[in-house]
Amino acid sequence: MLRVSLKGVWAHKVRLFLTALAIILGVGLISGVYVYTDTIGKAFDGIFADAYAGIDIAVGTESDFALGEGTYIDESDFAMISEVEGVQEAFPFIQGMGMTILDSEGEVLSAGAGPPTFVANISAPPESTTDGGAGGFTITDGAYPLGEDQVALDRGTAEQGGFEIGDEVTVISGLVGRLELTLVGIAVFGDDDSLGGTKWVFFDLPTAQAVLQRPGMLSGGSVQVTPGTPVEDVIARIQAVLPENATVVSGQDAAEEEAAEIQAALGFFTVFLSVFGWVALFVGSFLIYNTFRIVVSQRTKELALLRALGAGGRQVRGIVLLEALMIGGIGALLGIGFGVMIAFGLQQILSAVGIDLPTASLSIKPRTVIVGLAAGLVVTLVSALVPAWRASKVSVMAALREDAASPPKTGFLRRTLLGAVVSGIGLAALFFGLYGDTGSGPSPITYVGAGTAVIFLGIFVLSPLVAKPVTNLLGMFLERLMGTSGKLARRNAMRSPRRTAATAAAVMISITLVALASTLTGSIRGTIDDVLANDVDADVIVVPSGQFGDPTQGFTSEIAGRVEQLDEVQDLTRIHAGWGRLVSETEVSHGETTVDGVEGFITGAEPNLADFIPPDDFRGKLRPGPGELIIDAAIAEGLELGDTLTIEFEQTGERSFSLVGIMEGRAWAGIVAIPTDDWISAYGVDQHSQVYVKAAEGVTADQLKAAVEPLLADYPNVAVQTFEDLQSEAESQLNGLLNFILALLALAVVIGMLGVTNTMALSVFERTREIGLLRAVGLDRRTTRWMVRSEASIVSVFGALMGVGLGIFFGWALIRALEDLGFSNFVIPWLPSSASVAGVLGSLLFWLVATGVLGVLFAVFPARRAAKLNVIEAIAHF
Amino acid sequence: MSQTAARAERITKVYGWGDTRVTALDELSVSFDRGEFTAVMGPSGSGKSTLMHCMAGLDEVTEGTVYVGDRDLSTMNDKQLTRLRRERIGFIFQAFNLVPTLTARENITLPLDLAGRKADPEWLAEVVDTLGLPDRLGHRPTELSGGQQQRVAAARAMVSRPDIIFADEPTGNLDSTASAELLEFLAVAVREHGQTIVMVTHDAVAASYADRIVFLADGRVVDTMVDPTPDRVLDRIKKLER
Repeated sequence: MLRVSLKGVWAHKVRLFLTALAIILGVGLISGVYVYTDTIGKAFDGIFADAYAGIDIAVGTESDFALGEGTYIDESDFAMISEVEGVQEAFPFIQGMGMTILDSEGEVLSAGAGPPTFVANISAPPESTTDGGAGGFTITDGAYPLGEDQVALDRGTAEQGGFEIGDEVTVISGLVGRLELTLVGIAVFGDDDSLGGTKWVFFDLPTAQAVLQRPGMLSGGSVQVTPGTPVEDVIARIQAVLPENATVVSGQDAAEEEAAEIQAALGFFTVFLSVFGWVALFVGSFLIYNTFRIVVSQRTKELALLRALGAGGRQVRGIVLLEALMIGGIGALLGIGFGVMIAFGLQQILSAVGIDLPTASLSIKPRTVIVGLAAGLVVTLVSALVPAWRASKVSVMAALREDAASPPKTGFLRRTLLGAVVSGIGLAALFFGLYGDTGSGPSPITYVGAGTAVIFLGIFVLSPLVAKPVTNLLGMFLERLMGTSGKLARRNAMRSPRRTAATAAAVMISITLVALASTLTGSIRGTIDDVLANDVDADVIVVPSGQFGDPTQGFTSEIAGRVEQLDEVQDLTRIHAGWGRLVSETEVSHGETTVDGVEGFITGAEPNLADFIPPDDFRGKLRPGPGELIIDAAIAEGLELGDTLTIEFEQTGERSFSLVGIMEGRAWAGIVAIPTDDWISAYGVDQHSQVYVKAAEGVTADQLKAAVEPLLADYPNVAVQTFEDLQSEAESQLNGLLNFILALLALAVVIGMLGVTNTMALSVFERTREIGLLRAVGLDRRTTRWMVRSEASIVSVFGALMGVGLGIFFGWALIRALEDLGFSNFVIPWLPSSASVAGVLGSLLFWLVATGVLGVLFAVFPARRAAKLNVIEAIAHF
Repeated sequence: MSQTAARAERITKVYGWGDTRVTALDELSVSFDRGEFTAVMGPSGSGKSTLMHCMAGLDEVTEGTVYVGDRDLSTMNDKQLTRLRRERIGFIFQAFNLVPTLTARENITLPLDLAGRKADPEWLAEVVDTLGLPDRLGHRPTELSGGQQQRVAAARAMVSRPDIIFADEPTGNLDSTASAELLEFLAVAVREHGQTIVMVTHDAVAASYADRIVFLADGRVVDTMVDPTPDRVLDRIKKLER
């Protein structure tokens, strides 16, 4: 009998470990993300402190546009600073974007996603200071660039491109075209080779201004104060001589502000990643709940005996909760340790793929430990509450009865009502978040997230009601397939609907999110295909390469000029796009909508735009003349043709236009379209973001593409694409996104499946005698294994079925809510969209099959235990 | 076909090592004839359960040979032993004889289902009828009384027409009425249907239903008795204990 009890202890150990594992993984991800982002934050704090060490006062500009280029101040205004009392010296600074660097092979240096490339000025500092005026960069090798042929690069970029001082460097500007320059200097930021992986192209001030097409303008600068003068006084005096959009702060404040900005950006990253950790914990809570529930029912006799010996219900509850507390605490501590490993791993992975974030020793803040511990303890305790309550309800009589008494069952009606009410509350929160006016309360995302979690709980309460018929159906299929093992598995899956449902619930949640991600990407793909196939009437499009979806990146006008000369071209239209804001002089507000303050892309359209992007429907004119605009119907509610609308441009201020057309169909990707000439004068630059081209009679899209390509040979930053190319590019970007999300969800899926392992292990332990009997009367080991694996498979697929259903529902709700943003097409991706890995991973059918297979895999150990049971001891069990 | 259903030749079974070494069976030889109802008796620790486990292919002997029919169990692997158990051997345990998720009928035909065979409907009907179970076939074990459960187990043991049926204290959990019913049925199965049954028991009344009793002590056969009655059995036990 000793061996049997030892085996009981061993089963206990496995259960403890699996339960703690759910906590370890979830807490690990959360604390890992904290440690990682804290570490980066700490590194940036240090970098900015270094970089601003020699700067007393930093002058900058601010803009109230959400997504703009930034504003400038005039050189003449900046020059006034030198006259201010207490100022020893002022160094002007300009920076901007829209630059592509070619490596020594002539290829674009890291095109596509990744940290952006900046253009800025840099110049030799006087001996009194270390700052060169380029916001913390100093040249450490070579010389400061002088004149329009000389350039300096940050060390990270120079090394990546394989450049050495004296080499020729080719850069392509969207504004001034291709420039052949000589590399004269290498810059570092503080002590770092790179500022978070961004690329910097440095010129002297006049050249930088020319390249950015902002002659005479500055982004700000730095100021050296006469020794002994209080910095605060000088700040106030400088502020007084500068225009309103200028900001004047001490160098220390600037360093802190910039570090804080990075922290804020990292904060988003932290939240995004840790959401997956919380999801994993949420899934884990179901595993823990189920484990405790099963264990309590297995220990009914022991608990009843305690009651018989005089233990109070509260004491019995305490015993269960104490066990939960220990598992939660140990799991959380191990999880924090695991998190440190994750942080270290993330650092290695990101630097391996070229995202060179600054490094520092890992930063483990008290907050990380507190949140990790609290998360582990609270999740475990809350999950164990209901089982503990049930344990305290075990009657003394249960100790005396022969058959193991089961704890009280929730009645059919009560369960239905409770489940329906909970689901209803969740649905209400979800739809309020999607459609309601949340006002100043929590953000819509909070409502959607909380609503989703509550719906899960509601479905969890309801699921035992359908567990029996669904597992029966799934089992019948397996029984056909596998015979007796399938039959026994089916019966086992059906024997405790609550256990089956609770196990399946953990699988359900993770698969819901997987199905949601698949449905969303499937629908976005469907929408893009729709737009490309139906909404655009052109054969090829010229776009900045690797900049799909970012219309502010552009290229110079001579490219369209060259393309226009081709015989293969019938017609083309040039599209300018820039950020702007609709304001209204006369408070245009009809009903509840108002266009006041709407920001978005302003399209500079040629008269023939509508020939290329025909609207689904329109009112008024399609070809705006000077001083006229057409507007997207989605934001035009209540507007009338003839209204005067004012657009505020970041650089040039407000201009008024007369509303002449309302257009439906979103392929042009802007909120309003104005004539090209008005656009160029409003933005002060002439840079195309897209050129749509129609082929001449008898020329195919591919032939046209082949004809255009040679014209772009000098411009590797610009690409010509057919709509098939665009489609496959969009597809690959979507697949990348889907793979990324699935990789993060993999943790939740694993924990859900661990729940299956745990339940099967506990069930095998509980059914020891029964398995012994089956083995005695002739069940061979193989069939025994398959009996356990098949049950796991049935339970997993049951969870996946619920998950896929919920995922489709959530996907539908989201797509409907985002309809205004152009998501016109709701697609349920049952089948793989392509033969690629991501295509298959995006298919819902795949996940139904996959969870079945995963169920088999995750039941390998319980199945092995069942098959290895010693028949004689098993029969004598208990 | 030989007259012997199963036999053990000089089998020894040792558990443990060193100080904890226990010899459960000590060069024991015994044989069970076809159509015979044998009871195995002996005090606790005499090795009667071990003997049954070894002869039924549930446990391996340390030395010696066990034959079921003319098959030598020591040459068989787990898979072959499993097949042997479901095709040639029937089991009736003291309690928890039935798989709770299966109905009485499914429990009865379980060994056949596992072997992928169909039950002989006439034989099944006869067994079920003899046991007085026809109206309980669709029920789950939890819906049956203890006596009914043991009769279902008996039916399961018989349905594949095994060479031999091993019953381990089959009446241990039953009241005297249910015990008598079950034992009468086992006796009938042997007399009228030619079954071979070996029953481990320490109940003299139960043993008296057998044709022959084998007495064990300290892992050896110490005595046998043919055509027992309860009084003779009790006498013999007292004598053996002295």
